[in-house]
Amino acid sequence: MNSYPTINKRKGVKLELRDPMNFVNKFIVLILSIFTGLFISFIILVLSGVSGSALWKEFVVYIFTSEKNLSSVLIQASPFVVAGLAAAVAFKARFWNIGIEGQMIFGAIAATYIAINDIGPGSVRLLLMFTAAGLGGVFWILLPAFLKIKLDVNEIISTLLMNYIAFNFLLHLLYGSWRDPSTGFPNSEQYDVFEILPLLGWQSLNFSSVIAVLLVVIIFWLFVSSRFGFVLNVLHASSDMAKYMGIRVSLVILIVTVVSGFLSGICGFLVSSGIESRMTQSFFLGFGFSGILISFLARDNPIGILVVSLLFATLVIGGQSLQVFYQIPFAMVQLMQAIIVMCVAASEFFIRYRLIFSF
Amino acid sequence: MDFLIFWLSNVPGFATPFALGVLGMIICERSGVLNLGAEGFVLVGAMSGAGVLISVGDVPFVALLIAGLSGSLLGLLFGFLVTILRVNQVIAGLIMVFLAQGLTSLLSRNMDWVNKPFAGLSKLNTGILTEIPVIGPIIFQQDLLVYCTLLFYLVAFYFIYRTSIGLRLRAVGENPDAVDAAGGDVILIRLLAVTIGTFFLGLAGGYFTVVVSKIWVDGISGGRGWIIIALVIFARWQLSRALLGAVIFGCIEALIPRLAAIGVQLPQYFVLMMPYAITLLVMVWSNLNPKNIKAAPASLGRPFLREERH
Repeated sequence: MNSYPTINKRKGVKLELRDPMNFVNKFIVLILSIFTGLFISFIILVLSGVSGSALWKEFVVYIFTSEKNLSSVLIQASPFVVAGLAAAVAFKARFWNIGIEGQMIFGAIAATYIAINDIGPGSVRLLLMFTAAGLGGVFWILLPAFLKIKLDVNEIISTLLMNYIAFNFLLHLLYGSWRDPSTGFPNSEQYDVFEILPLLGWQSLNFSSVIAVLLVVIIFWLFVSSRFGFVLNVLHASSDMAKYMGIRVSLVILIVTVVSGFLSGICGFLVSSGIESRMTQSFFLGFGFSGILISFLARDNPIGILVVSLLFATLVIGGQSLQVFYQIPFAMVQLMQAIIVMCVAASEFFIRYRLIFSF
Repeated sequence: MDFLIFWLSNVPGFATPFALGVLGMIICERSGVLNLGAEGFVLVGAMSGAGVLISVGDVPFVALLIAGLSGSLLGLLFGFLVTILRVNQVIAGLIMVFLAQGLTSLLSRNMDWVNKPFAGLSKLNTGILTEIPVIGPIIFQQDLLVYCTLLFYLVAFYFIYRTSIGLRLRAVGENPDAVDAAGGDVILIRLLAVTIGTFFLGLAGGYFTVVVSKIWVDGISGGRGWIIIALVIFARWQLSRALLGAVIFGCIEALIPRLAAIGVQLPQYFVLMMPYAITLLVMVWSNLNPKNIKAAPASLGRPFLREERH
């Protein structure tokens, strides 16, 4: 089957559609392409003057033999998971939320507002901050969502522009009234002990991992077993079909963006309360794009997001020690993520097509 | 009056990078390739331009050329991904931004190009013409690239609307199957369009460092690539409206420092927000007119899948 004659006069290479690949083969291709990406990154790092054995030590040995580093990876992974979920939820309804970082900023601003103004009793402070963070994220996605639904304004650009607006607002706060009074540095004052996510008892692992796993379970249920998940799958497959089935597409988009904004806000809260214990001016950097790439690599599957986030977190922790010990700029991590995703995206071509060489 | 002349004489300098970028985007997207990587190509161009000036010496035009070419080089990779490997164009565009951010940051640090000021390209001195009241400083006291940009627009206009190459370009963007049936090579045309388009995006980036800031720091384009994408929608993928949009945006960007100079007190970070907020308004305003939504090339964002056509 599928042997439509394909003509390519100049190259002597023909393309042919493959029969759909089974899951195992697809998985092998995925792993191979991730390793190709890692290998290219490896070459770039070696060219930048880091020896191969040092890379092996920083990215594998030190991370998987030291409990402390392993727990750092797990802590770093939690906000990645939530950012990935935020991207995946929105993408299910074909809404590209590139504004995760802006929504993280407003989530953290809302949580920090609760923290520095000591709103509510200490015992429920974290719960208040969590809720406020989610709502802050929702607040920042509502305008792009509304513009998309009412006027069909391209959400990729509107959510991205909102990032820059949010970032400048954050700087306005941190260089203004929210500057840390005790040190004078442009970050918020440190959260009180009961405003920081509690430790779980193993190394420095804290409650953010629990939140991340819970959210994965909830979103997994939403995607796989809920009625809404079915609606999302229909919409993802074809918005025309969804319309004919009587699904109110704009309502679905609204719900999905609210959930995505909420998750992004939580992601901001996990970084500020779970990692940095305050709101800094760069806490959100990279999470937005990483979230999108993670969700893309995981094919919008929550369990996959969990796995890919662990990979990305390993890169970040390894990258941090490269930065300290070998003066490799942290942007290298970003570059590695981009290269890996590029290889995986390119591999889809080989999943779909077979190359036939005829010389 | 002095305020007005001062303001307007600054407009071309602010408008030129937008005009160049939008020109590149239109060439690219008219062929049906959705290019969300603009910010990445601009960044790469900006860094290469600065890199040439720091490492080679005072050769601004070589720097600008290299800026454009390095945009094209990354553009080739982008074109390869979206035309030959048929990667989702949104994802490929975002990868380009991410890749360029990482790459420019790493490379400029390794080459020690960060925070090094250089002479760059200065404004043209046309002697007696500059002395003409009012229009002298506005029209005759600009850098050479401002005039080149106008020339690029004329040439591009001629090519896109008056030649068979331009016809093919537009046809590929509207109906690639028809071009394929007529014997045209869709992949090649798109690849060329992406390469040429990203040249102008790189050039726009070069303008930011070589002419405007005369220094390189990480992420110097500060989201202007995204503003360029928004301007393309405003321009309805048409060159004449693109120039108009760039000039309007140049006026706004030039106004902000002028206001501060005459003593209008605005909170600093709210001023920095303005270009993005205004871009958002421009997008809303463009979409209020239903004509705009339909203006996009019909096959924009869709890969050409000859093997899957039945």
